[in-house]
Amino acid sequence: MSSSEPLLQVTGLSSSWDGRPVLRDISLTVADGEFFVLLGPNGSGKTTLLRAVLGLEPPDRGRVVLGGVDVSAWPVHRRGIGLMFQDPALFPHRTVYENIAYAPLLHRRPRPEVDREVDELVSLLRLGGFEDRRPDQLSGGERQRVALARTLAARPRLVLLDEPFASIDVELKAELRAEFRRVLGTRGIAAIHVTHDREEGLFLGDRVGLLFDGRLERVGRPSEVYAGPGSERAARFLGYNVLTGPRGLEAVHAADLRWEAVGTGGLAATVVTAGSVGREELVVVRTDAGDRAELRRRAGSAPLSAGDRGGVRWDRSIPLDG
Amino acid sequence: MRISGRDMLALSPALAFVVLFALVPAVVLFASTAAAAGGLGGIVAIVSSPLNVASIENSLEQGGLSALLAVALGYPAGVFFGRYAFPGRDILRSLLLVPFLLPSLIVVFGVLDLFGADGVLSSAVPWFGTFGSGLPAIVVANLAFNVPIVVLFTSTGGESAPRDLEETVASLGGSPGRAYVDVWAAPTWVGAAAGGLLTFLFSSLSFAPPLLLCGPRCYTVEARIWSLASLTLEPTAAGALALAMVGLFLLPTVAYLALLGRLRGASGRARPRRRSVPGRSVVGVALAAETALVLGSVVVLLAAVLDRTLAPIGSRGPASAWVALFSDATTARLGVSAVGLVANTLLFATGAAVVALLLGIVLGYAVQGRPARAGALGLVLFVPLLLSPVVLAVALAEFWRPLLGGAPNVWILVIVSQSILALPFALQSIEIPLTGLSPSVREGAEALGASRWVAFVDADLPRVRDGLATAGLFAFALGLGEFTATNFLVTARLTTLPVALYELADSRLFAVADAAAGLLLLLSLAVFLAIAVGGRRVEL
Repeated sequence: MSSSEPLLQVTGLSSSWDGRPVLRDISLTVADGEFFVLLGPNGSGKTTLLRAVLGLEPPDRGRVVLGGVDVSAWPVHRRGIGLMFQDPALFPHRTVYENIAYAPLLHRRPRPEVDREVDELVSLLRLGGFEDRRPDQLSGGERQRVALARTLAARPRLVLLDEPFASIDVELKAELRAEFRRVLGTRGIAAIHVTHDREEGLFLGDRVGLLFDGRLERVGRPSEVYAGPGSERAARFLGYNVLTGPRGLEAVHAADLRWEAVGTGGLAATVVTAGSVGREELVVVRTDAGDRAELRRRAGSAPLSAGDRGGVRWDRSIPLDG
Repeated sequence: MRISGRDMLALSPALAFVVLFALVPAVVLFASTAAAAGGLGGIVAIVSSPLNVASIENSLEQGGLSALLAVALGYPAGVFFGRYAFPGRDILRSLLLVPFLLPSLIVVFGVLDLFGADGVLSSAVPWFGTFGSGLPAIVVANLAFNVPIVVLFTSTGGESAPRDLEETVASLGGSPGRAYVDVWAAPTWVGAAAGGLLTFLFSSLSFAPPLLLCGPRCYTVEARIWSLASLTLEPTAAGALALAMVGLFLLPTVAYLALLGRLRGASGRARPRRRSVPGRSVVGVALAAETALVLGSVVVLLAAVLDRTLAPIGSRGPASAWVALFSDATTARLGVSAVGLVANTLLFATGAAVVALLLGIVLGYAVQGRPARAGALGLVLFVPLLLSPVVLAVALAEFWRPLLGGAPNVWILVIVSQSILALPFALQSIEIPLTGLSPSVREGAEALGASRWVAFVDADLPRVRDGLATAGLFAFALGLGEFTATNFLVTARLTTLPVALYELADSRLFAVADAAAGLLLLLSLAVFLAIAVGGRRVEL
């Protein structure tokens, strides 16, 4: 593999389930050490794509090239790709140490080397003191850290993360994902992280790919993708209001949308519902053209109620395709 | 597990039924036996007689051999069912229960029709005659019943293996063989061991196979007890041997229940898995071939029974056996017409199903959302499993027949015995879905003002109606084929099809017996179809 060549190259990957297409002609690359986030709603094909890359579900068509070698026909255990699920899938009857040492011992590495490796990972993932505990004696976050340590002990070139933080408490989630990012970065290991949480995806990714209905719609740096979602569904998924304005379909951030009294211009709209959210008022409106939009007003304005008529206006928007 | 007084109260209807119709008669039987035999020394002396020791040895030999072979043949097919996808998999998995639901006599007839004196295979290749009588024939009959059970249990174990962990092992560099050793060998072997133990219990206590395929030299303990109680009229000896049998099979029964509990626990936690396509690996193809061979053999055995019913008697036309079955001569011999046989059989089976269903509903109410009560339910089910059909029948007859006024009311005991024997299996079909039910709908109904019972009926029962229907049909099917206890209890006027089948075979009227076996097989298959329609999943 030359230094300019990507670590992972997926080309023309298509897959179907019971005759229904699940992945449609997916092509993407992941560079060495890159943290790539695959972002999309539930059922968009994210997990299927990961499973196809790993070889758990052979695709109908397409190639998977890893480190310059076509591994499409290789069995899972020969690909050297790590995998982590929402469920840490630890061996319940083995200790933390034994779980982490599983792969090195499987590959018959010398015992002193295995001990060193495990010690290093225990320290890197702040698992000191837990070595002799079994998984049922750990918290959810600790179990996920053990799962990551076990994955890293196999020395993979690429790690696939299938929503590993989905069942973790909100408070712990932010800490844990930053830790995962740090650890993978420290070891220079590339990752594909799958999530439907746009905040998590935009926060973590070096690059982000938006997947809808098995099609990779948009790939780029998070700021690029957020600034130019392209399609209506991508804009909606990223949290924009989609309104039919003077420039056609436009993506408008809730913070850029204002409510105006009747006769002061803007798109005529009716309040669907309104209520206080802390220091702000959340207002859901429907324009006369049928578009639904959310906007936030500062507390102190005269409160709105369902059925109130007025208009919405914005100064900044992103034009969308079609 | 701590069982409170309220738990016991809630379980009392089922407990009362089992205590009154199984436990008390058995204890009374054993106590009177001990008194008549002159205490433990007398019992030991009776059990130590050469014929009784031989029957124990036969039980262990037939049970052990059948269990080992059933696991050897059933394990690969169980792995195939548990881990591979193929067209018709679900319906085939349901079909695995058919031999278990069939009357034992039908399988015995299948063995005779294939390997007997003028059997289909033994006529073509004389070597097959080896399996037409004696120990080989008994083992073949036991295997036809029990290999599908091992397949079913092993497949349940395979399905319960943690999918995520298995895939993780592969991603860590573990080969498929390594994933087998580290992840999914254990649950499949737990299933196979549970199936093997059940095979051991059923085969050790089998009745019809040694009776019809070998004779007294192969009698199991069960057949020997029947012989002592019915033929040589030695009730004390029968009771002593029954007591020894309960002691002998206590450990395997407890081990079976423990493994079953472990299997069901793992199965309840399992996530659905996507299965492999067998054609993609050599192992898959080999497992598919083994499965086809093993299950194909069982199908051939049953098909032989149906085929034989169409064979002409002497120079008479095809299907003349059916004509003979419905003839006046057969009615005169049996004391009841063929239509009467069917009516009696259906009546008793319906009674058993109704009792099992009613107890199931009451037990369902008692155990809903209460693990301690579900555990106690396991203990309730444990008692009938420990009493073999003959011991149950002897105990019921000794204790209840005089109290019920003798022969005219013996039909009650037939229904009771059939329902008690069906209870452990039928109730699983209710308990499994009930324990997996989310309580939110019921709690919602209670919050709206429904009483606990009304909430149970309105919210929980409709959600387990498939389980209820399966439990009823299961009990019905087991009642339909029950031979051992019914044969001991029933009077001539109330004879059932399985009992008539044995009497016809015993009188060497094999052609008419074949037709009766065909009729019973068709009835059993109709019940099975009713279970399978709608994709009801039956577990043992």
